[in-house]
Amino acid sequence: MSVERRLIAREWRLLVAKPGDVFKPMWFLMLVISMVPMALSPDSSLLAEIGSAMIWVATLLALLLNTDHLFRDDFNDGVLEQWLFFNRPLAWLVVLKLLSHWCLYVVPLILVTPVAGLLLSIPANVLLALLITLLIATPALTCFTGLGAALTLGSSRSGMLGVLVMMPLFVPVIILASGVLVRATEGAEVLPLLALLGAFSMASATLVPFAVSAALKLNIGGSN
Amino acid sequence: MPTYSTSLQFQDLCCERDDRTLFYGLSHDCQPGSLLRVAGPNGAGKTTLLRILAGLYDADSGSVQINLTPHHDAREHILYFGHKPQVSRELSVMENLRFLTGAADVTIEDALVAVGLAGEYDSLVRELSQGQGRRCALARLWCNEAPIWILDEPYTALDVKMVATLDAQINAHLANGGLCIFTTHQAPQSLVFETLELGRVG
Repeated sequence: MSVERRLIAREWRLLVAKPGDVFKPMWFLMLVISMVPMALSPDSSLLAEIGSAMIWVATLLALLLNTDHLFRDDFNDGVLEQWLFFNRPLAWLVVLKLLSHWCLYVVPLILVTPVAGLLLSIPANVLLALLITLLIATPALTCFTGLGAALTLGSSRSGMLGVLVMMPLFVPVIILASGVLVRATEGAEVLPLLALLGAFSMASATLVPFAVSAALKLNIGGSN
Repeated sequence: MPTYSTSLQFQDLCCERDDRTLFYGLSHDCQPGSLLRVAGPNGAGKTTLLRILAGLYDADSGSVQINLTPHHDAREHILYFGHKPQVSRELSVMENLRFLTGAADVTIEDALVAVGLAGEYDSLVRELSQGQGRRCALARLWCNEAPIWILDEPYTALDVKMVATLDAQINAHLANGGLCIFTTHQAPQSLVFETLELGRVG
């Protein structure tokens, strides 16, 4: 079996062994969204107006729940250092790892956001825009959280540190995505902003894996 | 059985950690079929040297070559066995070895029989004892085609019988033209090796 197939098969087996990691962010998202009308106001026109932004932020935070596991367990077990002995560039393996993480953990989370949208009575066209922005933006967000996780592998309890380091990189994504949502609410043209968001996501997905692999090499070298 | 003809040389390796010189001027030429034991007290830099040879860590100066080319371009020739568990607790014995070795299932099953884990193929590693987990990681030595073995404390947590089995496997690898560099605190009885002593420098 090729290295690529082995790596993806292993991600799948890990998910089957710990399915809770898929559902935890979903519970979190639904919990936050179901609290919003109680804390704010049950007025459905207000909820429809701010709901899509609420869901976006809640999804972003839910994504962060799983990112510390991205490399830490494999690093502590010494499995990560074995990656260097596979006959493949480390950056390529990082791409596969981030891609399978996105498919297995992030996409299921995005698929439950329409349910959250219904709870906040968001109109159908905004809901569609929300889904599309999430699908386009999350590859970039996954890459950034991966970079944060890789950079902080060396320190023992650093879940939040990685997130803090990566916060500035989330900002352009959120600004572009909320721009799309505002325009969709107003019924204006969304394609230009979506294209910009897509370009940003593509650029990150292409460049960040190199930074992640450099950070991994640094931490593997620094450990015993 | 494949026969190897890979050699590994290192020249003038020097390493400092936390402003302390661990070793300097280390040179050795490992020829096919040779066994090198890196010895020295705790903290002498044995693991660091092995990690440098495996390409996981960069020496401050000096060079490591495999078949006279820089070793960073030839990592797939190396099997590195560190002292972390090297297996994931949440996966089964087979799943771990499938990922690490890429060998066919039949080969992995033979390896597991050799290390005394027959019948534990689908057990999760967290259900095994520490020694069994160690055997699972060591099973890689029975199903790989890397000519250079770098083993850091391979004897830890093994019983007498397993130590003998491991010695036999190392001997088979050497007879096959492979080379092996290892560290241990108990000098093995049934192996012939050269010793590189660390910890004698200021």
